[in-house]
Parts: sequence; C-alpha cells; structure tokens
Amino acid sequence: MHSPVARWLDERLGYSALVELATHKRVPEHKYSFWYYWGGITLFFFTVMCFTGVLLLLYYRPGDEAYQSVRSITYDIQFGWLIRSTHSWSANLMIGSAFVHMFSTYFLKAYRRPREFLWFSGIVLLLLAMVFGFSGYLLPMDDLSYFATKVGLGIPAVVPVVGPWFSNLVRGGPDISGFTVSRFFALHVVVLPALFIPVLLLHLGLIQKHGMSSPQSELDKPENKRKTIPFFPNFAMKDLAVWLIALNVLAFCAAVFPWPLGPAADALKPAPMDIHPEWYFMSSFEVLKLFGKWIPGEFGEFAGLGLFNLGLVLWVLVPFFDPERRAGAWARRATWFGLVVVGILLFTTIWGYAVLPAAAH
Amino acid sequence: MNYPVWDVPFLGSGWVIGIIAIIHVLISHFAVGGGLFLPMAEAKAIREGRRDWFPRLEAFSKFFLVLTGVFGAMTGVGIWFAIGLASPEGTSTLIHNFVFAWATEWVVFLVELTLAAAYYYTWNRIPDKIHLRLGWAYAGTSWLTLVIINGILTFQLTPGAWLPHAGSGNEPFYFFQALLNPGYFPSLGLRTLACLSLAGIWAMVFFSGIDGDADGPLKERLVRWSARWVVPAYILMPVFFVWYLFTVPESHRALMSLGISTIGAGAFTMVTRMSLVTVMTSATMAGVVFFFAWLSPRTLSRSQALGVLFLALMATGSTESVREFLRKPFVVNGYLYSNGVHIGDVDHLNAKGYLASSPWVPAATIATATSLPTPELGERMFQGQCLACHTLDGYRSLRRLLSDRDGKAIGNILTMLHDHKPDSPYSKFMPPLVGTPVEIEALRQYLDRTVNGKLTSPVAVFPPVVSASPADSARHKG
Repeated sequence: MHSPVARWLDERLGYSALVELATHKRVPEHKYSFWYYWGGITLFFFTVMCFTGVLLLLYYRPGDEAYQSVRSITYDIQFGWLIRSTHSWSANLMIGSAFVHMFSTYFLKAYRRPREFLWFSGIVLLLLAMVFGFSGYLLPMDDLSYFATKVGLGIPAVVPVVGPWFSNLVRGGPDISGFTVSRFFALHVVVLPALFIPVLLLHLGLIQKHGMSSPQSELDKPENKRKTIPFFPNFAMKDLAVWLIALNVLAFCAAVFPWPLGPAADALKPAPMDIHPEWYFMSSFEVLKLFGKWIPGEFGEFAGLGLFNLGLVLWVLVPFFDPERRAGAWARRATWFGLVVVGILLFTTIWGYAVLPAAAH
Repeated sequence: MNYPVWDVPFLGSGWVIGIIAIIHVLISHFAVGGGLFLPMAEAKAIREGRRDWFPRLEAFSKFFLVLTGVFGAMTGVGIWFAIGLASPEGTSTLIHNFVFAWATEWVVFLVELTLAAAYYYTWNRIPDKIHLRLGWAYAGTSWLTLVIINGILTFQLTPGAWLPHAGSGNEPFYFFQALLNPGYFPSLGLRTLACLSLAGIWAMVFFSGIDGDADGPLKERLVRWSARWVVPAYILMPVFFVWYLFTVPESHRALMSLGISTIGAGAFTMVTRMSLVTVMTSATMAGVVFFFAWLSPRTLSRSQALGVLFLALMATGSTESVREFLRKPFVVNGYLYSNGVHIGDVDHLNAKGYLASSPWVPAATIATATSLPTPELGERMFQGQCLACHTLDGYRSLRRLLSDRDGKAIGNILTMLHDHKPDSPYSKFMPPLVGTPVEIEALRQYLDRTVNGKLTSPVAVFPPVVSASPADSARHKG
C-alpha cells in the first residue's frame, strides 16, 4: 500500500478495506478443518464450469442443430472434446462437492443461529445447481438425454391442475423438440446464472460476515485453547493448493473418461433400455418409481413427489428445530434425521443403478 | 504361442502389471531418491550442528527401510511374476538379451538392501563419519539399480542399434547397444529427477506428523528442506521430456496427436489423454507443495501431504501409461508385437497356421484347424492373440467394442487386422492378426457368437486338407 500506484488505486477503489478484512479474518484450526475446504472446492468447480461453458458457447448451436454442433465439438474441433468433457465433469463434481459441503455443514451444526441464511442460501444454490444440471443434460440432444428429459418432464405433469401446464410450458409444446432445446438453453445460460450469481454473492458475503463456524467440541474449549490461522495468506494459500488438487482430479476425469455422446435423438425410435437421470436425481427417480409400484396410477408418483418435497422442507427448516449451541434432544434428533437422509439418498441411488439394465453399466 | 495363456477376466493381464507397476514405481523411485535424501539430510545436520534432526531422520530411515525393503521389493518381484505370465515372449526376449544386466541388478539389490538395513541399525552406534559413508554407499548402489533397469525399460521402445541383429541368434553380443539405446540418457535424467521429487514428497508425508505446536521450528526446517527436493524436477523435467520425445520414433510420436481433435477412436486416443494428465499433474505439483508446505510448514497436516503424494501417484501412473501406450503395437519395437508374435514369423504363421505352431494346442484341435473353422477353435485364437490387450467384458471389452456389429462386419475388421496395411489406422496401435483363413474364420465365428449370442452370418466353408495330421503339423518354435 506504500507505492504511489497502490495509493492511487486505493484512493479510487478503496480495496485496502478488503485487504484489511482478509488480514484480520481468522479461520478455526481443529481436527474437522478438512471440511472447511469443500465450499471452496465447489466454488472452484463452478468457476471452471463457467469458463468452459463460455468456450462451448462459441460452437454450440441450440435448436434443431444442437446434436450436430455437439458432435462437431466432440469429434472435429481441436480439444473440443476436452472442453465439453471438462464442462460436464466440473458440473458433476461441483454438485458432488456441494453435497459434501452441505452434509458436513449439517453434521457440524453450522446452520445454527446466526447462520440460518447461510444454510438457506446454500440449499438454494444446490437446488439451482441441480436445475443447471437438468437443463444442461438435454442440450446435446442425444438419445439418452432426450428420453431422460422426457421422463423427467413427465414427473411434474402428475401434479394436479398446474402440472401438465407447467410441463408443456417448459417443453415448448406437447413433445420435446428444438423448441425445448432453445428453452433449456436460455434457462441454462441466462436465467439460471442470473438467479445463481446473486445468491452465491449473498452466500459468500454471509460467510465473511459470520466467519467459519466452529464445531461444538471447539466451542467447549476455553478461548485461549482454541487455535486459529489467518485467512490471508495462510488459509487462502491452502485453499489454492486444494484447488490445484481439485483441478488435477477434474483433468484426470475429463481426460481419462471423456464425456460420451450417444446417437442423435430420434422420437420414433424406442427409448433406450438404460434410460436414467443423472446420479444426483437417481434417488428421487427411484423413490418415485417405488411409489409408482406401491400405489398404482398417477397418485403413486404424486405421493412420492409429495413425500420427497416434505423431506426437503424439513431439511431446509432444520435451523428452527435445532437453533441453539447446546447439546439437547433436538440436536440429537437433527443428527439422526441427517443420518436417515444420507442413508436414504445413498441406498436409493445405489439401488437405482443396481436395477438398471446391463447396458447402462 | 510358445507359452500357455493367462486369462484375467474383466481386469485384463495388462492392468495386473499396471497396478503393481504404478505402486512399485512410486516406492522404488523413493528408494533411489531417498537414498540420497537421507545422507544429505544427515550431512546437513552434522554440518549445521542440528542434532535435533537425528531422531527424526532415524525414524524416517526406519520408515524408508520398511517401505522400500518390504513393499518395494515385493512389488518388484510381483512385476516379474505378472510380466512373465502376461507377456512371456516379451519377457523371454528381455531375459535373453539382458541376463548379465539382471545378474548385476540382483547383486546390486542385495548390497542395497544390506546397506539400507545397516544404515538404519547403526544410527548413534558408530561414528557419524562412518554412518554417513554407509548412507552415501547406499545412495550410489540404489542409483545403480536405476542405471541398469532404465536401459531395459527404454530398450523396449527404442532398441536402436540392436535391432538389425534381432533374430540373428547373436543378440546378446550387442548388449551395450541394447542397454545404452537412444532413449536411455533422457529417460535416466527423467527418472532421476522423479526420484528426487518423490524423496521430498515422501519426506513431507513423514515429517507432516511432527507436532507443529510442540516442535514448530524443527518441523518448519524439515518440511521446507523436503519441499526443495521437488524444485529440480519442476525446472528440468520439461527439458528431459522433450529430449526423450525426440528419441522416440516419429511413427510412435505421432500417436500422441491422435486425440487432439477427437475421442472418436476410443482407446486409440488414450495416449493423448494420458499425456494431458501427465502435463497437468507435473505442472501443478510444485504449486501444491509451495502453498501447502513451503508457505505453512508448521501447519502441514498428514492429509495435505498425502494430497501431494496422491498427485505424485497420478503423475507417475499417467507417465508410465503413456510410455507403455507409446510402444504400441509392440512389446519390443520393430521386433516383437504385443500379442507375442515376432515380426519375422508373420508370413510363416499365416501360411502354416497360428495354432499349428503352438505346443499348447492339442493335436486333435490342430487337425481340425486345417479345414474346419469352429467357434471353439476361434476361442483358442482369441486366447492367443487378443487376451494380451483385451478382455471379453471388462477392460477394452471386445463385447463392447464389437457391439452393433454382425458377423460380416466382425469379419471385415478381422480381415483388416490380418492384412495390416500401413495406411490402416489399426496398424498404428494393433499387431497383425496372424493365421490361416480357416483360423481367422474360426475367430470370426467365436466373436460373432460371443457378441451377438449366435452366428449372424453364413460360415465360410474350406476344402479339407488331406495331408494334414498332428505329426505333420509344423512346430515353428521348438
């Protein structure tokens, strides 16, 4: 801040306040510190996804030419396959790390007062990320994405009154077509980023305001026994190292398991045997299937959908059930509720893949 | 052909070698680099009067001895078992050429292991000067093991001046031409740098266990000193890598660019993709070490240090895979194909028959092979010529690669592989399919039945060959 250039910039931008904040901010250091990095990892994958998404925009053509343009990206354009693969993998890894971040936050009870809005905004971000994934899944318009989206858009249609109207609106007609791709594209690159980025900024701002939450075991220690490290440079530098490791994991996945492209979607062909949603929707997909078997007719799926949404509402509202920093009956119930949710998600996801026809494996 | 086949379902024999080899490289390179690290650290401690390093170095040398002496040695022998089973012809070629090198290697191993044990057990029991000499002696012998094995590994891709004498029966006389082949020196440089890097990384893993609160200054010095060992590799590896690439024959180097614009050819583009992983891990590892270890040495945790080791594992695994992929379709470039067929035998095997030349095929089967193609006969062909690189249902699954193809389309691919024309894309990666028309038809039937569940196209009929009998069957190899 002593150089004339720095002074000149600071006078106009006032960034010294940010530097001051970063220098004085401290991060708790304890045996659970490992979990602090998952939010940053999620943010990193989001950044890579945005960057590769912009590169894909240069060649992708929504509408009826969608499949051909993705085919050209995958098989003709130099390193096009790598950009597409990196985009898809970063999206999946982002959602994966967001799940880890959410559950670690949950079990470390970081949703408690005064961090309720961090919890809410985090869940909104995760849900938006899943909608990002759903809208992006259709964009290549290959057979699997076509039929999986068809099934996916059939789910809200079971909701009485507004369901069919909503599905038709999203599809742009009674069937999936080039119009659907255009709508999904607009949703994917304009609407969702416009919603996601403000919520993300709110989430990051709230972290700055409240700081990192310490687990109860740390809070029980006397003040002078609690260890902290400066956010800048110590924690920030470690975050950078973790990001580099995440980058390598991403590069490995993208290069060694390049994202495939199936044959072009053909509405007249029978649906592939292995039709399935992305892994993060597999649990809800499987629950709906199970309810559909137990209770015949559309009511079965509707009941499954209702139960799933009820679970989500309870999950969101947990800071109100377990608001205080002390061990009590509600704290234990919240932990058990979390374990049940993790168990159901894992079990139904694994079950969903296990019962898929062999072609999907 | 001269040996029985080794069928490893799903994983494939190649991956058995690969898994053992990646673990082995990670440990054996540490054995070489750590051999230099320990006496250098000890010398520094003595020179600078840091006696507080001694207990840590003693503990580190115990860890080193157990890891390299037990796991390093076990995986080394494991590679021998695996390559002997997966590629017996290739192993036989190497043994015939390098028997003297291996004899030397075993002697050096014995000295190396003895010195490693002596170094650990004599901490604080003999004068510093003599103990240090033991360390330097270990460093020299462990590097000597690399000097020898590096020649054998590089020989497979760049046999150089040895190649004109291949198959002459005089190959062992060209031992030094084979050992000091064109790829030898750049590869030795690359591996030596990798050894230094791995020594520093393993040391960071070990020293990250020091309590930063209780022994902050000690941990800081040891971790930072270990981190420095990554620097030479970061600076010099690109230089040696480019040098190495220029020693690789142009036709093989071209394989690296196959995957730039496409993933269309599936496994064919794997070299490019694995090279990308190598570049990424090598380029970023120093950054991770800098951020984790150099800037915050006192708070370096075991999980963070293991993160660096994980990157080293990725770098090692991908680099070794690229080296293996670059050699395709050979085990020994220009001499022996990856399916165990010698280049010089191709015409003979096409005329007389592949199965007829194998001592492991029953005489009755050979008699059938002369005129009656059957899927059972085809399975023998599959085991002999495909299993070295493919499995039915797992790695490079033939059921997956040939899916959506009927019997006729499978036949066309087999014909292309048999003809092995220079302009065929398959010729760059795959060895020729050898055998008589009856044998190739038999393989087609086997693959058709395996992939499609039944024979989907008419079977070819061949006139019976009257003179064929087990006694007449030529045994090309005795």
